[in-house]
Amino acid sequence: MHSPEKKKALELLDNLRFDKYPLPEDRQKYIGKRDVRRLDGIEKASGLADYTMDVQVPGMLFMRFLTSPYPHAEIKGMDTTKAEALPGVRAVLRYDDPEVQLEEDLGGHGVSPRFPVPRVAHFQGEEVGVAIAADTEDIAEEALELVQVDWEQRPFVLDPHEALKPGAPLANPDDFPDGNLEEEFESGRGDVEKGFGESDVVLEFKSKRLQHTYISPERPCGVWRWNGEYPEVWLKQQRPHIVKRAVSSWFGGIPMNRIQLHILYQGASFGGWSQFGWNLAGHYCAAILARRTLRAVKWTFTRREDFYGGSMDEGVHQYKVGAKKDGTILAVKGETVYANPMWGGQGPTLHLEECTTIPHIYGKRSLALVNKGPNTAVRCEQLPNCHTLTLVFDHVAAELGLDPIEVALKNDGVHGHDMAWAKKEKKEMGFPETDSLRECIKKGKASIEWDKKHHQPGTKRLPNGRLHGLGFTWNHEWEDSAGSGEIAMRLERNDGTLNILGMRCDNGVNAETAYCQIAADEIGMKIEDVFYRPQVDPGFFTMTPDSSTNMSVNGFAVRHAARMLKEKVLDAVTSDRAVTQRGSYPPFFPDMTPDDLDIKDSVIYAKKDPSKKLTFAELVGPSGDEGPMAFYELYGTERTPFSEPLFTHSYHVQVGAYKGGIRPRFIRQAHFMEIEVCPDTGEITIVKVVNVNDVGKAINPMACEGQMYGGTYMGVGRAMWEEVVHDPVTGVMLNGNLLDYKIATIEDCGPIDTIVMESRLGFGPYGLTGIGEDVSTMIPALMGPAVYNAIGVWIDDYPITPERVLKALGKI
Amino acid sequence: MNKYLCPYCSTKFEAFEDLKAHALAEHTGEPAPLPEGMIRLTLNGDEYQIQVQPEWTLNYLIHDKLGLTSPKMFCDRGACGSCTVIMNGRSILSCMTLAIECDGNIVETAEGIADAGHPLVEAYVKHHCMQCGYCTPGFITTAKALLDKNPDPEEEEIREALGGNLCRCGTYPQHPKAILEAAEILAQGKGGK
Repeated sequence: MHSPEKKKALELLDNLRFDKYPLPEDRQKYIGKRDVRRLDGIEKASGLADYTMDVQVPGMLFMRFLTSPYPHAEIKGMDTTKAEALPGVRAVLRYDDPEVQLEEDLGGHGVSPRFPVPRVAHFQGEEVGVAIAADTEDIAEEALELVQVDWEQRPFVLDPHEALKPGAPLANPDDFPDGNLEEEFESGRGDVEKGFGESDVVLEFKSKRLQHTYISPERPCGVWRWNGEYPEVWLKQQRPHIVKRAVSSWFGGIPMNRIQLHILYQGASFGGWSQFGWNLAGHYCAAILARRTLRAVKWTFTRREDFYGGSMDEGVHQYKVGAKKDGTILAVKGETVYANPMWGGQGPTLHLEECTTIPHIYGKRSLALVNKGPNTAVRCEQLPNCHTLTLVFDHVAAELGLDPIEVALKNDGVHGHDMAWAKKEKKEMGFPETDSLRECIKKGKASIEWDKKHHQPGTKRLPNGRLHGLGFTWNHEWEDSAGSGEIAMRLERNDGTLNILGMRCDNGVNAETAYCQIAADEIGMKIEDVFYRPQVDPGFFTMTPDSSTNMSVNGFAVRHAARMLKEKVLDAVTSDRAVTQRGSYPPFFPDMTPDDLDIKDSVIYAKKDPSKKLTFAELVGPSGDEGPMAFYELYGTERTPFSEPLFTHSYHVQVGAYKGGIRPRFIRQAHFMEIEVCPDTGEITIVKVVNVNDVGKAINPMACEGQMYGGTYMGVGRAMWEEVVHDPVTGVMLNGNLLDYKIATIEDCGPIDTIVMESRLGFGPYGLTGIGEDVSTMIPALMGPAVYNAIGVWIDDYPITPERVLKALGKI
Repeated sequence: MNKYLCPYCSTKFEAFEDLKAHALAEHTGEPAPLPEGMIRLTLNGDEYQIQVQPEWTLNYLIHDKLGLTSPKMFCDRGACGSCTVIMNGRSILSCMTLAIECDGNIVETAEGIADAGHPLVEAYVKHHCMQCGYCTPGFITTAKALLDKNPDPEEEEIREALGGNLCRCGTYPQHPKAILEAAEILAQGKGGK
């Protein structure tokens, strides 16, 4: 059929303006409502939700890897005789096994072939040398202890700055024999030297961020079973489509259509493990051992092994900033050395380029190889950019004695243009003219009582003896960046309920419910008639939580499919149905066109005479012994109406905003933090946090708030304690457990005010933008200005521990 | 040479006939003694008699052997609260408890709490106390044990009770809301099936 809705969907691909065809507000019965029940709620609250770690397959074996005791070492020989002889050991896969001699696609951002069982360890704790499958995890563990390895230790380097000095030990001489500088990137605009020359003040400062990591509640794991020739795979992974791509390339090629994939509920990984280039090696090895043992094989990591790598903002930053006395920033030079970032890293000055008027910017990032685990996007890759923006703005305000909010508003811009330009552009692109940052700040200031509580740095001692501090930061929202995804929909026979089809990992953000809200409102169905079980692989893959994008891509894909389905339903009920050789069935609504009809609460009705109506159940008809479309012609005289199968499929592609700045960002967020610092112990107490996030349009406001308070808690841990500590002498990680690597508990943060703004300034459907990554990425650096305001001394090295506070106060 | 051991009370006898006489005289009517390694457990109201290995944790028994998957392994060593179950009215860490020491104990998991229609479960759904959901059953069991002991907790008491439960998604602010709501429903006598 001719589909105007499909035409519109195509028109909206790679949307570069405000949503051209939003749903009228009066048709939004579920979109934006707080009381829509979570699809996953009961399963998760009652403990019935299954995760990969819970999967047990009859006869399943358990596989574990050997890990390196040294930060840099080569295996010269190995004796596995004793391990193989241990009762309960079923198979051993060594690095010199003929089946692991090829570099394979084992996941990652792009294809980056690796050896499944490495021979050389480049960090302590790296899985190397051998994998053992046994009847229990304990036996596999015991067997690993019986493996005798002839290690050749190599010199190692841990600090990225040290790694770039001449004569530093080579961190990875196998792939980078000439030095530890992997790559350098430069970006910016204007001429920073000119900018510094025109400035009233020029300041320089340094900041250091140690490695911190994701902490997946569910450890990396998976199960592989061969069903005859073809695999059935369970995997904790946030990117099912990449898993299938990789698996299909293994063992001489496995056809995509014969790989059965289960991506169950995910004990969250926040990017992290899912993005490392070696993350599917467990599966690769399990597949080999499953074939050899004729058993299913489950591989698991220990808690310590989940500390495989960390976040891409580990590094040393050097800043030089020039500004006018009134707070106008003229030039920023940011040079950073990052440790082990994957896929080129991020930052440091990208956000300054994107959302300020600063005319002269120079950013340089040098990627240094060190003998620690790899660093990747951990909620999220914009951490270095947020870090830079916060520190630059707050240092300038402090240096000039200005209110940081005034400095933010003075320099807020879009790719070097001012907000007057932005206003004109918004109008041309169909957006409202709202000044997002001003609105966010107005709300946030009121909530934190900024005007009443803000004070000169280090000047407010409370009656309890502690020092009071207030911090502020801001940024644009970036979660409508890039991605693609497919969605299909089918009306079920018998009861006419709607099934949304599309595989994605559930990562807890309740996006699945939001998709149902969109589908229900767009079609006119009751929310309880719409369902989505994202773990099933129907062959359609949605945008995963990568490239900082979910709702702006999948939301569009769902909407396109829903609108096409509605169109198809209305066409079906006004057309002759089921023309068979014995005759045809008349339309449900004879002599009407689709325009004469509408759908509300899962009932199709005539606009002029709502008594003429049809339920979805009546439309689809029952299934019966004649098959899924019953017609009762065989024996009886009754002719039960039936309709054609009602199925639609659509997709969305968003090319991206990072590349070349093709989409100006108009949408903002602002965050405030009130703290107390104990001058005797250095302890920081977080009294209150205010998050103001302009999400454009909230489909599920409670889910948005969940990302705000949830991100705040993650950010608080990052700001105050989270750092992976390596012993400088041995290169051994010292705190790879949750007793010594502390994340925030319920008692570690005061009240969090979550203010959701809805300016319709996003590029997603209905003017939305995503929110999942923003807050946990913004909050860490916010602690710096808050502590400065409390104690009057800058601490630019993170995390800001009591020890660093006491040092800053000159007490130790 | 004391070669016969009474299976009920471990008294030693030289002759089998003496043991038999002793058993009839002293232990008639007592339930049959359990073989070594066998424990009796009441789990979510159901009686179990199970042979366990000495090194099995209660978590391994419940999660891996009995297939009730709500007590989750997160930290591996008693640092996160995700494996919390209620044993004899107290919330305990099932990863730090040996199964063999649990003979005669009464254990509740999130599955049992949900099955009993406890209002906590619905309140948790309503207030979005879960994101990825992996740690949620540990919170439910901790909260239920709190309400059993203290049916009218202050918010500060709730925060303190949940202080040992880690949630990486940071759902923390929602839990006191849900628990206070469940407490209110229970106070009105409306909870349960």
